[in-house]
Amino acid sequence: MTTQTPSATAEALISVRNMSKSFKDFEALRDITLDVNRSEVVCLIGPSGSGKSTLLRCLNFLEAYDTGEVRLEGELIGWQEGTAQPRRRVAAGTLRRQRQHIGMVFQQFNLWPHLTALENVAEALIQVKGLGKKAAQEAAMAALAKVHLSDKAQNHPANLSGGQQQRVAIARAIAMEPRVMLFDEPTSALDPELVGEVLTVMKEMAAEGMTMVVVTHEMGFAAHVADRVAFLDKGRLVTLAPPADIFGREPDDPRVRSFLQTYRERNVV
Amino acid sequence: MELDLFVRYGPDLLRGFGVTILCWIAGSLGGLVLGFAIACLYRWSIRPVRWVIEGYVELIRGTPFMIQLFILYYGGPYMGLVLTPVQAGIISFVVYGSPYFAEIFRSGFNAVPKGQIEAARCVGLSEARIMRRIILPQMLVPITAPLTNFIIILSKETAILSVVTVPELLYETQTMAAETFTYIEPFLVLSLFYWLMVIVTSWLGGRVEARVTRHLKRT
Ligand SMILES: Nc1ncnc2c1ncn2[C@@H]1O[C@H](COP(=O)(O)OP(=O)(O)O)[C@@H](O)[C@H]1O
Ligand SMILES: [Mg+2]
Repeated sequence: MTTQTPSATAEALISVRNMSKSFKDFEALRDITLDVNRSEVVCLIGPSGSGKSTLLRCLNFLEAYDTGEVRLEGELIGWQEGTAQPRRRVAAGTLRRQRQHIGMVFQQFNLWPHLTALENVAEALIQVKGLGKKAAQEAAMAALAKVHLSDKAQNHPANLSGGQQQRVAIARAIAMEPRVMLFDEPTSALDPELVGEVLTVMKEMAAEGMTMVVVTHEMGFAAHVADRVAFLDKGRLVTLAPPADIFGREPDDPRVRSFLQTYRERNVV
Repeated sequence: MELDLFVRYGPDLLRGFGVTILCWIAGSLGGLVLGFAIACLYRWSIRPVRWVIEGYVELIRGTPFMIQLFILYYGGPYMGLVLTPVQAGIISFVVYGSPYFAEIFRSGFNAVPKGQIEAARCVGLSEARIMRRIILPQMLVPITAPLTNFIIILSKETAILSVVTVPELLYETQTMAAETFTYIEPFLVLSLFYWLMVIVTSWLGGRVEARVTRHLKRT
C-alpha cells in the first residue's frame, strides 16, 4: 500500500501541510500532510507513542506545531499568516475564536467536577457565545438530548457513569456547533460495557454529517464508520486509505500488518 | 483573682484586642490578595519575572518577621516612609504573609488537572474566566485547610507587633502587668483572647471546607 495523499481540494475542511512537531530533540511528528473533507470521518490508528494525540492536539493548537501548516477552512491555526521567521502566535482572542470551531473530546472526559452536566455544557455558551442564561440552558439541554442524557442534566460528574460523563463531554463540545470534532481515544478509559453507548452517539454524529477526526483503538468503529483510516508510526503518516484497503485485505506495509496482527491475535484468543 | 484590676484595665485590654484583630484581619486579607496576585503573576509571566518572584518569596520567607517589621518601621523614615506603628504593623504583615499565601495558591492551581483546563481552552474560554470558573472553585478544596492554618499562625504572630509599640493585646497586657505587678491573670486572659481567635478561625475554615467539598459527595 502506498501512502495516499489527496491533493489539496477547495472543499477540504482541515488541511495539514508538511507539519512537524518536536519535543526538545524528540521528533514526535514528521512532515504530516493530510486533508479532511467536510462530513468526512478520519480515524487515526497506530501504536502507542506514534504521535496520534500530538497530531490531534496540533490541529487545535493545544500543542504548537513547529513547521508546516494547519488550516481550517483556509485559515491558518495558531500562527500568524506570513513568511516571517520565527512565526508569531496569533492573539489570544483569535486563538479562542479559532478553537471555538474545533470541538475536542478527551480520553479522560475532563469534565469540570464542581459543575452539573447542564452547567458543563452551558458554560461556554454563556461566556464564549454570549447567550443569555435561559437561551444557553435551552441549547445545552438540546445538546444533552443529542447524547441521550436529558434526564441527567442536574447530575454532577461524580454521579454519572464513565460512559455518561463522556457523553456529557461530547455534548459540551457539540453545543458550540463546531465545524469539526476531534476525539482522542474517547472510549479507552471506559469499562467495556460502556463503550457501546459512546460509539453509538459518535455514529449518530457521523450520520448527521459531522466532520470527525478520531484517534481510536476500536478497529470495528474504524472499519465501519471511517471514510478513511490514517496509520501513524513513529511520528510519520504511513498510510491513509479507505478502511476496506486496510482491514479488508492483507495490508502491504509491514508496519500496518504487524500492528493489525496484534489485534487479530487478541480477538482470536 | 483581683477583679477590680480587670475593671480598671478591661477597656485597655479590649482596645488592645481590637487593634490585634484589626492588624490580623487587615494583614491576612492584604496578604491573601497580594499572595494571589503573586501566584497569578507567576503563572502567566515570562521567565525573568518568575525569577524576581522566586527571589522575593525566598527573601521574605528567609527572614524573621520581627526583622522585617523593624526594617519597615525604623528604616522606613530613611527612605521617606514614615508610618504609624499600626500602619507599619499591617503593611509588614501583608508583606510577611504574601509569599506563604502565594505558595498555597500555587499548589492550588496545580491541583486542578491540566486536562480540565485544556478542555476549557478548547471551548474558547478566556484565561481569566478559566481562573474564576474552573480553577478557583476547585482549588478551594485543597487550599482551605492550609489557608486556615496559616491565618491561625498569623493571629499569634500579631504579638510581635508590640515591639514597635503597636497598642495591641500583648502590649496592653504587658502594660497592665508592669503597672500592677500581676502576671498570671493578665496573661491567662491574653491566652483566652488568642484562643478565641483560633477557634473562631478554625470553625470558619471548617464551614468553608464543608461548603466547597459539597459537589464531591456522591448522592
Ligand atoms: N508534552 C510532551 N513532552 C515531551 N514528549 C511528549 C509530549 N507529548 C508527547 N510526547 C512524546 O511524543 C510521542 C508521541 O506521543 P503521543 O502523541 O501521545 O502518542 P500516541 O497518542 O500515539 O500514543 C511519545 O513518545 C511521547 O512520549
Ligand atoms: Mg494518545
